[in-house]
Amino acid sequence: MAEEKQATTGEAGTDLAELMGMRARTYGMLARLFLKEVDEATLKELQGMRFPTATGNDRVDAGYRMLFDYLRLSWDDSVRELAIDYVRTFIGHGVNGYSAAYPFESVYTSERRLMMQEARAEVLATLRENGLKRGTWTEGEDHIALELEFMQRMSMRTAEALQAGDEDAAIKELRTQRAFAHDHLLNWLPMLNADMDKFAQTKFYQGLGTLTMGYVEEDAALLEELLEGVVEDAA
Amino acid sequence: MPEHTDDLLDFDEEFDPLAVDDLSIDQEDMDDDNPLDTVDYPTMRNMPDEMRREGMYTPGRQGSAQDAIKSLIDHNPGRRPVLLAIMQMCAGEGMPASAVTEEVNKLQSDNLSVYAPMTLCRMLERAGGLVLEMPETHEVEEDVEEGVEYLEIKEHIDPIWHTTEDGQAVCEEFSHAPVFHDIVLDRDSAYLEVYRAVMLALDERPRTKREIDNLVDTFEVVKKPRRFGGHFVDMLERADAIEWKDRAWQLTGMGRELLPLTAPKGEE
Repeated sequence: MAEEKQATTGEAGTDLAELMGMRARTYGMLARLFLKEVDEATLKELQGMRFPTATGNDRVDAGYRMLFDYLRLSWDDSVRELAIDYVRTFIGHGVNGYSAAYPFESVYTSERRLMMQEARAEVLATLRENGLKRGTWTEGEDHIALELEFMQRMSMRTAEALQAGDEDAAIKELRTQRAFAHDHLLNWLPMLNADMDKFAQTKFYQGLGTLTMGYVEEDAALLEELLEGVVEDAA
Repeated sequence: MPEHTDDLLDFDEEFDPLAVDDLSIDQEDMDDDNPLDTVDYPTMRNMPDEMRREGMYTPGRQGSAQDAIKSLIDHNPGRRPVLLAIMQMCAGEGMPASAVTEEVNKLQSDNLSVYAPMTLCRMLERAGGLVLEMPETHEVEEDVEEGVEYLEIKEHIDPIWHTTEDGQAVCEEFSHAPVFHDIVLDRDSAYLEVYRAVMLALDERPRTKREIDNLVDTFEVVKKPRRFGGHFVDMLERADAIEWKDRAWQLTGMGRELLPLTAPKGEE
């Protein structure tokens, strides 16, 4: 039995581990871009990226295209322009809960559009269940950057489990990610994305919203597919 | 999921976040007794046009581009030399933004500012002193690897800043040292010998503030009303005749050109 399991995780497991590594990198990049303003080093790194044109998901393609269109015309002053747009998009100037694309799940899933509501408690519980601490983070754990980083960490763990040949652990991590994507990310990303479209004035942040929406959607479908296979195998 | 979090999931079943649309909020629906019902505050994006404010120094606000540029320079005395230098360096064929950044950083190395070089350029642009020329961009580069097509950024753009005619006119006006003529040679002409002594001393070598104070105090004319070295430093700096560099006051190129004007009649 152990030999069979090892065989199934052999070459395919290596490919899958690579795939998990790619997912982790993408989630990491998205988390970084939501976390804080783009600085000079990040801008240079983004300009050196390759942007796929036909991934099979229209939103992902459109998002990458918008980011590319902004970045190919970016120059010294773009760091300042993006910093202004970051504030305009995610912080805004109002106190009424409708003046920006607030990057917290609680705002979108509570009736009074308040921070630190049920969604935050759930995410915090999920982080604790998975042995993750918030480190130096001083705001609500339901921030989009933290939720994306959670997916990144889980993808990395999955990759490590696959490389170690521990298929059970990998499946467990994948199930956690599938549940988190459905219970949290997909629950409010459509609304955040729509608001980013409204408030952002650069293609960069409009594209980031579209790309994130498309990627999480596509990734959730991938997780579903991977785990369906597991159930079939078990059956 | 632990039991205690189940309670937290006790949402109002009728609440549908997707149904919330702030653009169609009806004030009549608001609950006056609920202090949390704050959606009647105005939102920034619905701000009426008359509330929107343009930049502080613009041709529209000051009446003309030249007035806007002069007003910008006047209200930012600490940045005057660098603002004028930017317009001078971008005159003619213009200057790439990266080179402007490099030059401005050098110029500000002894006079630090919270303004980044491109922020200063944008201020001048809004006032009508500079225009930005974006270079032609080439066709999108596509690359194919393992059957997947990618877009890549193969070249980085470096837009060119150009000084406008209005900007050049202001630079020309300042090159005639209007402030020096107005203050040193006119309003403060009673202290001309003191100004001359300070400028001669700085022409000899850079001096500290204490040295200038000691020099100024040797003149009888500064005793009553009392004038300190700081006054002369301030006026000469405002006239672009001296500058703070390498931890000392130094005579500028313009100061050297202006020095003969302070000579007693017959000695020019």
